[in-house]
Amino acid sequence: MKAIRKKRLTTVLFLLLTSGLGTILIIKALDSNLDFFFTPSEIFAEDLPENKRIKVGGMVLEDSVERDGTNIVFQITDYEESIEVEFNGIVPDLFKEGSGVVVLGYLFEGSIKAEKVLAKHDENYMPPSLDIEK
Amino acid sequence: MIKKFIHQFASPKTYLFQVDRAYPYIFYTSLSIYLVALFWGLFLTSEDFVQGNSYRIIYLHVPASFISQSLYLAMAFASAIFLIWKVKLSAYLVRSIAPIGAITTFIALVSGAIWGIPTWGTWWAWDARIISTLILFIMYLGLISLHDSFTDNEKADKFLAILVIVGSVNIPIIKMSVEWWSTLHQTASITVTEKPAIDPSMLYPLFGSIIGFTGIVFCLVILSSKLQILKREKNKSWVKDYV
Amino acid sequence: MFNFKFNSISDAIFMQSSNGQYHGLYVWSVVLIVLLSISITFLVYKVQIKNIGKKIK
Repeated sequence: MKAIRKKRLTTVLFLLLTSGLGTILIIKALDSNLDFFFTPSEIFAEDLPENKRIKVGGMVLEDSVERDGTNIVFQITDYEESIEVEFNGIVPDLFKEGSGVVVLGYLFEGSIKAEKVLAKHDENYMPPSLDIEK
Repeated sequence: MIKKFIHQFASPKTYLFQVDRAYPYIFYTSLSIYLVALFWGLFLTSEDFVQGNSYRIIYLHVPASFISQSLYLAMAFASAIFLIWKVKLSAYLVRSIAPIGAITTFIALVSGAIWGIPTWGTWWAWDARIISTLILFIMYLGLISLHDSFTDNEKADKFLAILVIVGSVNIPIIKMSVEWWSTLHQTASITVTEKPAIDPSMLYPLFGSIIGFTGIVFCLVILSSKLQILKREKNKSWVKDYV
Repeated sequence: MFNFKFNSISDAIFMQSSNGQYHGLYVWSVVLIVLLSISITFLVYKVQIKNIGKKIK
């Protein structure tokens, strides 16, 4: 009887340990570059290598968007630093000057060649009329 | 004392008779609340100032996401009761909540993916909120198949309960993922501490849809637990009288 | 607050937003998926309970 209990206890402990370890690994994986995005300031501060795929998040700088056919060039800013982004393709509907954006691409000669441009919106929801009144 | 109390009132038999009585009331009330809230949200509210009409998916996505996490917490709670007081009913409940949790998590993932197309510009992103919800979905499926792989039900119950409690770490991770990591997913619009970031005209139907959907899912849990009890106690004499 | 935001049924189906995009496809497919998966789940459980009831009898 005692031996069985001991065995059970060790199995439970083993389970707890492995699942704890698994969670830590998952958190680590989530925290890695794959998921994390950089702000423009962090890009300049960390001196990232070129040709490495990164994600950059921030706001589209006002009056910085230039379109030429499907080519689009704009600045991402965190209101401290900003970095130029070049993209060829269709941007999402919510892509607007002054709104949030996440760009997937790589650094090339001081600007970002984007492969994907995603729009990020915030947690605020309201009818358009209220927005105008503000 | 507590033990005696729980064992008396948490017998599968009393449980079944009680929920059978309550079921139609819960079902019709919550169904009407849900349908009214959906109608309100889909046709009577104004479009969002940023997202336009696509924001209306909120009335389907948020209730499902909320329930998928709450069901896991309910499972963890029932697991703790089972491990401490050896209440059989809570072991049945743990096993019967799992498939319902899997379905609601599936709805949350799919509705979120569809919502992502017009708003973010992608249906999937390796984002902390999405990954942790995907893990929740896999966990629900894993727990079901783990329980079913045992031939000894008693052993299965015990293992399941332990794993459910261990896995509950994921719930605060899902909740906090939008705060801890930079994610594409926006932060919570409704919090306990702050004023909601949603205009009241859009918020009331949202509350309605959450309450209604919770009730509907509660009915599914009742059905699922009924099935579980009938399966596990089919040799008891009261079950023969019951059916 | 309680006025219809769409003028006709086809407006409500296509759900054109003020930026010109049609969002009806997204909204209605989510509605369909949610209602279908919930009702199918109800059906599956009802049938299973019926079957096991017959077996016990």
